[in-house]
Amino acid sequence: MNKAVGRQHRAGRLFIYGCLLLVAVYYLVPLFVMIMTSLKPLDEIRTGSLLGLPLNPTLEAWRVAWGSACTGVSCEGLKGYFWNSVFMVVPAVVISTMIGAFNGYVLTQWRFRGSDVLFGALLLGCFIPFQVVLLPMARTLGFLGISGSVAGLVFVHVIYGVAFTTLFFRNFYVNIPRELTNAARIDGAGFWLIFFRIVLPLSPPIIVVSVIWQFTQIWNDFLFGVVYSAGNQQPITVALNNLVNTSTGVKQYNVDMAAAIIAALPTLVVYVVSGKYFVRGLTAGSVKG
Amino acid sequence: MHALKIENVYKSFGDTEVLKGINVAIEPGQFLILVGPSGCGKSTLLNIIAGLEAATSGHIYIGEREVTNLSPKDRDIAMVFQSYALYPNMSVRKNISFGLEIRKVPKAEQRETVQRVATMLQIEDLLDRKPSQLSGGQRQRVAMGRALARDPSIFLFDEPLSNLDAKLRVEMRAEMKELHQRIQSTVVYVTHDQIEAMTLGDLIAVMKDGIIQQFGPPQVIYNAPKNMFVAGFLGSPSMNFIPAVVEQTESGLGAFLEGGAGRIFIPLVHCTQALKAWVGKAVVLGIRPEQITHAPEHEGRIQIGVCRINRVELTGPDALVTTCLNKTDVIARVQPSSLCQVGETMALGFDTSMIVAFDPATEEAIV
Repeated sequence: MNKAVGRQHRAGRLFIYGCLLLVAVYYLVPLFVMIMTSLKPLDEIRTGSLLGLPLNPTLEAWRVAWGSACTGVSCEGLKGYFWNSVFMVVPAVVISTMIGAFNGYVLTQWRFRGSDVLFGALLLGCFIPFQVVLLPMARTLGFLGISGSVAGLVFVHVIYGVAFTTLFFRNFYVNIPRELTNAARIDGAGFWLIFFRIVLPLSPPIIVVSVIWQFTQIWNDFLFGVVYSAGNQQPITVALNNLVNTSTGVKQYNVDMAAAIIAALPTLVVYVVSGKYFVRGLTAGSVKG
Repeated sequence: MHALKIENVYKSFGDTEVLKGINVAIEPGQFLILVGPSGCGKSTLLNIIAGLEAATSGHIYIGEREVTNLSPKDRDIAMVFQSYALYPNMSVRKNISFGLEIRKVPKAEQRETVQRVATMLQIEDLLDRKPSQLSGGQRQRVAMGRALARDPSIFLFDEPLSNLDAKLRVEMRAEMKELHQRIQSTVVYVTHDQIEAMTLGDLIAVMKDGIIQQFGPPQVIYNAPKNMFVAGFLGSPSMNFIPAVVEQTESGLGAFLEGGAGRIFIPLVHCTQALKAWVGKAVVLGIRPEQITHAPEHEGRIQIGVCRINRVELTGPDALVTTCLNKTDVIARVQPSSLCQVGETMALGFDTSMIVAFDPATEEAIV
C-alpha cells in the first residue's frame, strides 16, 4: 500500500518536472540561439546550423555592436545610446518611484475630501495608450524647451509612470494601519518625519516591485524614444532598430544578435538582482501586529 | 483644577451625528472609563481628546489649557492603541524612545527613561527585539512603555486589552490597576467590556448613541442605574427586567410576581414618594441575578418565593437558574449545592432592598 502511494507520488513528480523542463527549454531556446549566433563569425552562420555550437567562438560581433556598428549615418555602435538609456532610466525610475510613494502615502494616511476621486483619476492614467498623448506631449516638451533631449524623455516617463507607481504604493500603504501614523503623530512626528521614519522603512517590498516595473517599462520603451528624441540623444531601443535596419550589403546576424542582447541585458540584470527581494517582499514583510 | 474637561462636544460625519453634547470633567489622578456598545461614539470621543479628530463644536481643556485647536503633539498626552501600533521597523528600545527623540530629549536622558520604563514593565530583556518577535502580551507592555516614557499629563487607552486572550487580559487588567495606583496618573480608558469598566474605573461614563447616559463612580452606576440601558449594560448576566404593577398594600407599596407556584410579594422600599404616583400602573422592576438566590436561613428584606426552574447553567462558583415570573424569564444566581433539577420547584430568596423601578415608556428609573 505504502509502496504504491510512493510510486504514484514519484510518477506525479516526474510528470510535473517534465512539464516544467519542457516549458523552460521552450523559453530558453531563443536566448540560446541568440547567444550562439552572436559568438559565431559570419561565414559560420551562413553555413552552419542555427542550433549548433560555434566552432571558432569570437567576441568580434560584440565588439562591433558595442563600438563600431552603423546606426543610420553614424558608425559608433550602441555605446553612446546605451548610456543615453541609462541616463534616462535611472532618474526616471527614481523620480517616478519617489512620487508614487509620496502619492500613496498622502492618499492612504492623510485622506482629504476628494482623495478617492483623485486616485481614480490617477488610475485612469494607467489606461491611456501612449499614442494618445504623443502630440500634446510634443507641444508640452517644446514649451518647456526639453524636446529632443534625454531630459525630455525622463520627463515623459515620469509623468507616464506616476499613475502606475501611485497605484502600487497606494495599494501597499492602504494596509498600513491608521493607528500607526496616529501613534507617530501623538509621539510628535510630523508629515515628513512619519513618511521617512515610519512609512518608507516599511516599503522595500513595494519599492522593488515599482523599480522592476518602471525599469522594464522605460528601458524597453520604443515609441516615446523614437518620437521625442533625435540624433545622438536616442535611447538604445531606437538605436537597436536603426542598427538592424541599416545594412551595408550583407546582413550581419551576429552583430544584430549581440546588439539585441546588449539592449536586453540591463532588464535581465535587474530581474536577477532584485527578483530575490521581490519574492521575499511578497512572502514576508507583513505589517500586521 | 480639572485634569480634563470636555465641554459640550459635538461631532458629526456628514449627516450622522456621532457625539451629541458631551460634558465630562475629571480630577488629576482619576481613572475615567468610557464604556458603551460599539458605535456609541466612545472611540471618537477619545480621538477628539487626543486631537486625532476635530470636534464639530465644543471645547476640550487639559489642565488649565484649552487644547481644542492644538495638534496631538502639543496636547501633552500619550495613547495606547488597540492594535498597539508599534513601529514595525524599530526595535523595542527605539519604539519607546522615538517620542523622546522627536522632542529632542538629550541622549543620556532618553537611555535613562527607557531603562526606567523597561524595569517598571519588566521588558528589559526585550529591548533589542523587533515588535514582530514579541507575543501579544509583550507588545501590549511595549505599547504601555512607549506611553509611560513620555510622562504625559493624560494617558489615553483605546481598548488596549481587547486583543489579548482571556487569561492574559485578566492579568494585564490587574497590572494596569496596580500601575495606575503607583504612578497616580490621569487616565481616559475606552472599552466595551463592562468588567474592565467596573474593575478599573474611578469614574465611568456609560455611552450610547453619542450621549453619556450616566456618569459616576462604578458602584453608584451599578446600584442606581439611571435608565434601563445602563442597568442592562453593566453586570453579567445582566439585570432582570420584570414587568409588574405597583400596588398599595397594608405593609406599604409593593408589586406581585406571578410565578410557577404562587404569587411573590415584592415590597418597594426606595423612592416611595415618586412611586406613589404609580399605584395601579405598570412599571418595570430591575433585579440583578445575584439579588435572587437560594432561600437563605436568615430573614430581613428577603422575600421567599417558590419558583419552577426552567434552565440551569453552571458557571463554577455558582449556578444560574432561569425561572419565569410575570411571563418574563428571570435569572437567579444560586449556590450549586442547593441546585435542583430542571422542571422542579425551588425556594428562591429575593433581596428587595436593591430593586430599581423603571418607567416602561421612557425606560428611565423612577426616583
